[in-house]
Order: sequence, then structure tokens, then C-alpha cells
Amino acid sequence: MTEDQLAVFIGSGLRLAMPIVLAGTGELLSQRAGVLNLSLDGMMLTSAFAAALASWLTKSPMVGLMVGVMASLALAYFQAVLSVTLRANQLVVGIGFNILALGATTFLYREIFGPLSRDTIPGFGKVNVPWLSDIPVLGPALFQQTGLAYLALALVVVTWALLKFTSFGLAVRAVGDDPRAADQAGINVTRTRYLGVLYSGALAGLGGAFMSVADSNTFTEGMTKGAGYLAITAVIFGGWSPWKTLGACLLFGFATALQFLVPAMKLDVPVAVLLMLPYVLALFAVAGFVGTNRQPAALTLAFRRGG
Amino acid sequence: MLKRSATLAMHAPSQGTGGAPKLAPGALMKIAVPVVATVAALLVGLLIIASTGSSVTEAMLAFWDGMAGSGYNVGASINRAISLGFVGLGFIFANRANLTNVGGEGQIAIGGMFATAMALHGAASLPFGLAFVLPLLVGTLAGALWGGLAGVLKSSRGTNEVISTLLLTFIALPVVYWSVESVRLLRKPLTEVSSLPESAEIADPTKLPMLFPNDPTSPLHIGLVLFVIAVVAVWVVLKHSAFGLKLRAVGLNELASRRAGIRTGRLIVASMAIAGGLGGLAGAIMIQGQNYYLTNEFSSGYGFDGLVVGLLSRGSPLGVVVGALLFGFLRSGSIAMEITAHVPAAVVLICQGLIVIAVAGSTWLIDRKASK
Repeated sequence: MTEDQLAVFIGSGLRLAMPIVLAGTGELLSQRAGVLNLSLDGMMLTSAFAAALASWLTKSPMVGLMVGVMASLALAYFQAVLSVTLRANQLVVGIGFNILALGATTFLYREIFGPLSRDTIPGFGKVNVPWLSDIPVLGPALFQQTGLAYLALALVVVTWALLKFTSFGLAVRAVGDDPRAADQAGINVTRTRYLGVLYSGALAGLGGAFMSVADSNTFTEGMTKGAGYLAITAVIFGGWSPWKTLGACLLFGFATALQFLVPAMKLDVPVAVLLMLPYVLALFAVAGFVGTNRQPAALTLAFRRGG
Repeated sequence: MLKRSATLAMHAPSQGTGGAPKLAPGALMKIAVPVVATVAALLVGLLIIASTGSSVTEAMLAFWDGMAGSGYNVGASINRAISLGFVGLGFIFANRANLTNVGGEGQIAIGGMFATAMALHGAASLPFGLAFVLPLLVGTLAGALWGGLAGVLKSSRGTNEVISTLLLTFIALPVVYWSVESVRLLRKPLTEVSSLPESAEIADPTKLPMLFPNDPTSPLHIGLVLFVIAVVAVWVVLKHSAFGLKLRAVGLNELASRRAGIRTGRLIVASMAIAGGLGGLAGAIMIQGQNYYLTNEFSSGYGFDGLVVGLLSRGSPLGVVVGALLFGFLRSGSIAMEITAHVPAAVVLICQGLIVIAVAGSTWLIDRKASK
């Protein structure tokens, strides 16, 4: 492996991991509150499309980003109404939203962009961190990312602090572990869970927008390619801890980046093996063969007051 | 074992046999909810088509033509319905034990791949129809192992089966891609004329016999017969066997069932394996009845469609038949609509998503009625 290849590998691994880091960090909070938000992939796809569309219309990636996050939040709100208020099966609702998002974005993309799909969309430029980006090999790889990448890492810290040091974080953990006791202690279970789902929606929105306006500067049908599912597994892999989840997301990002590195190095490894690698890792993770997991006791369980 | 299940039977909710035909509480809702959701979603679909400015009549004509415009199209729609139906049957089977099998697509893919491998290597020269029966069995078995793996993980490690079956699907699809990419596996030998990543065509004896051999335009094969048998079998097992009753008991209360002496772990593995086996059989039938060679992504979309079919049926095998036919015809229609009337087939995906959300979101209606 040459120095160039190493630099490209690290850079692309980080870049590919960022949407998963964003979505996974949001999902972590939602799951700690007891809601497994399986529509993450649909939220990312919706946001990727909305961001691309808005950025293309206004020529401003910042507007695109905001519209993307709002679209994702709208989806998250419906998800919360269904799974928290109406106590619908969280997983089935999630799958429904994923199918809907895939259908709606594909349809709208063909209707709106169809003839001009080659247009690039205005996207965010890269931010060079002064001094640090001059370090040989690692500098360009680590410190020439878009601003959103740095935001993603900051949000991991924020989420960690939120869970650990704030009363909201305490409420989230209480609601995810024992909603009945939390309710008796005066915590508003419904409100906390809504906020958890909305938080995951906002971050998934950032992750989706990252894909279209920060990374590829284009939208393609079904462009998330299951990144949302990877983010969910990263949370489980990471044992519901922000730092381990970050580690799992980075691992998935680098596993994906191998698909580009291995052919470049002319190694005789079937592409299919690389394609399935992240999912095999994830399967081992959810099966509990890697790390110790203790999931929030009330994960996926609906709460009915007094019931 | 039998005695125990007999005691369980007394506590299980009665199925309302005998006496005046009276609907169980919530039964009307059970039928009404999916019907209303489907009709409403299709209306939304029509509105979307109208909003694109394309002619709704033209789109509908293309839709109708694709669904049922000719004997061949009807047959093709029914063949599609069969694949979805098998996955749907698998879904309700596992769901009876309160398990949600969302891995239909991976199970189809693995089943189809192994059926192809068997048909290409070894089955073709077998006598007495074994040539096509053996690949079907191998495909079913492969699907059963793939689905059963999720059951094993569930019962031994407590892994949520929704996540594991999803991941198994994401693993199965590259496996099929690998098998048609590599000449050492199933890819047909590279020649100058053709280098597509697909398997060679399976030999005639390994193809499923046609139902109407005298009518060359009819694509119907004995998969239809197998499907009818499977519907009846699933109905009998779920409604009238000790095994079905135990599944139900585990689904309602796993801990209580274990205390009552049911081996819940084995039951979970068995129900996931049966669900996976039905998916694998669907894959084998798709290859042997229609496609005749393995391609990458031949299973695309069938898993989720089958899941929706199972979900809509609310646990009834007859409901699976209705739902499978609905989606089989919808799919065929939507493809024709995209080609002829230039309306994206994704409209049907939107409708399906809406149906799933609406049905999942209205369980409280049914539960409320039933608990009165």
C-alpha cells in the first residue's frame, strides 16, 4: 500500500462513516429512551433528497441542509405519533416508512430531476484545519473534511454529555429502562420518547444531507444503500454507549472503504466479500459475540399509562 | 407432550367453532382495517399519478394491460403472486409465535441460488421427476437453514429477529452476486458472445412442469399447485394442530409457555426455519418455473412485498392468498405503467408504504375492540 492509497483510504473511510456516525448517535438517544427507530434509513433518504432539491433550487447547501433536516424531522414526528402515542409496532412502522421514503424519493427524483439528473448540486466545500492539514499523509485525510464531519464528531460529544450530565439524559435513561417507575417519579414518558425520536430524526437528517450535499453533490435513487440499518446495528454493536457506537460506525465506514482500496491494491478478494463484510460484522455484534451488551430494558416496548 | 397441549387448549381463546355463526370481537375490524387501508392507499396512488399531469386513463389502461391484458399477463401476475404468497405464508407462520420475519428476500435469494446449483450440478439426469423435485427441496432446505439461523440466534442469544433477518438479507444478496460473478461458482463459462454475470440455463428436466402444456402462451406451472397445497397445510397446522397451538402459546406468553412445559427455544427455531423454508421454496420456484437461470438481484423487491402481504393478512392464510394476488397484479401493472405510460413504478412503493404504516398504526383499533 502506498502512502497515497493509505491517505485516500483513511479519508474515504472517515467520509463514509460520517452519515452513519450522525444517524447512529441520534439513534442511540432514541433507543436509550426505549424507541427502536427502524425508519432511520428512510429518514436519511428523505433528507438526502430534500437537501439536494433545496440546495439545487436555492443554490445554497446550507438551505439544503436545513430543509433536509426539517423533512427528516417531519417523518420522525409521524413515527413518534404512531409508535409512542398509538403504540404501533415500532419495527413494522419503521419498515413502512422506509418503503414509503424509497418510493416517494424515487418518484419525486424521476419527476423533478429526471431529464437533468447529470446536474451537480451545490454542496459544501472542504474545510482545511490550519496547520494540522499540512501533516503528511494523515493531515489531508483527517483534516480536510467538510464542516459537517466535524459537526458529527462534536455531536457525539454533545450526545454523550446530554445522556450523562443533564436531567434530560437521566429522564431518557429512566424511560428506556423502566417507563412505569419513571412515570411514577414524575417524568413525562411520552414527551421524553417524542424528544428521543425527534433527536434521532434530526441527526439522521444531518446524516442524509451529508450524503447528498456534503459528500457526493448529487442524489441517486436509494442512495443510502442501507446506511440507516448499519447505524442501528452500530448502536447495538456499541452496547448503547456513545463512544463504542462511534467506534462501530467508524469500523463500518472503513469496512465500506475497503471496497475501493482492495481493487486499487490489485488484491484478489471478491467484491462480494467486501460488500457483505459490514453486515457480517454487524450480525456477530448483534448476536452478542463481540462486546457485552445490556440493552435498555423497555426497548421496543410501548408504554400505556396505568395499563 | 400431547396431554400438556390439551390442557393448554382449554385456556387458549376459542376459535368459535359450532353454534350460530358469530364474528369474534374485533373480527370485523380485522378485515376492515387492511381493506380500508389498501383502498385509501390506492386512491392516494391515483391522485399522485393525476398530479404528475400524465393521463390517468392512459396510466390505468397500461396498468390493466400489464396486469391482465392477455392470458400470458394474467399468468405472469399469478406467478408473481405465488412467490409473494409463499413469503407471506412464512411471515404469518413465524408471526404466530410473535416473531417478525423480515428476511424474506434473503431467504428467496439463498433458496434460488441453491436450487440453481442443484439443477446445474447433479439433478438434471435423475429419473421420476426427481430432476425438478430435488432442486426444489434443496432450495427449501437452504432457505430453512438461513431462516433457522435467525431462530437459533433468537433462542440462544436473544438477538432480535427483525435485525438478524434484515442483516442476513444484506449478507445473502452479495452471496448471490458472488455466485454469479465467479466462474468457479455458478457463473456460466465466459464466451465471446456472452459475458453477462449470470448462471447457465438449467436443463429442461429440472424446470417445473407446465400446468397447461398444450397452451404455449400460458406461463402457469405446478408452482401454483404447490402454493395451494402450502396454503392448506399452513392453515391446518396453525389452526388444527398441537404445534400451531404451541406456537400461539409461545407468541402470547413465552414465559408461561415454558412453565407449561413447551420447549420454546425449539419452537422458535422451528417456526423461523419453516418461514425461511417457504421463502427458499419461493426462490426455487422463481428460478425453476420462470427465470430458468440465476441472476443478480432476481429476488429484488419480493421480500418486502411478501412481508406486506403477510402483514395485511393478519395471520390468515386465505388473507395471504388475497393479498398476494393483489400485489402480484399491482406489481405487473406498475411495471407496464412505467414502460407504456411513463409513470414511475415507485408509485406502487408509496402505496405499499402507506398500507404498512396504516395497518400498523391501527392495531390499537383492533386491540381495543378485541379487549372489550
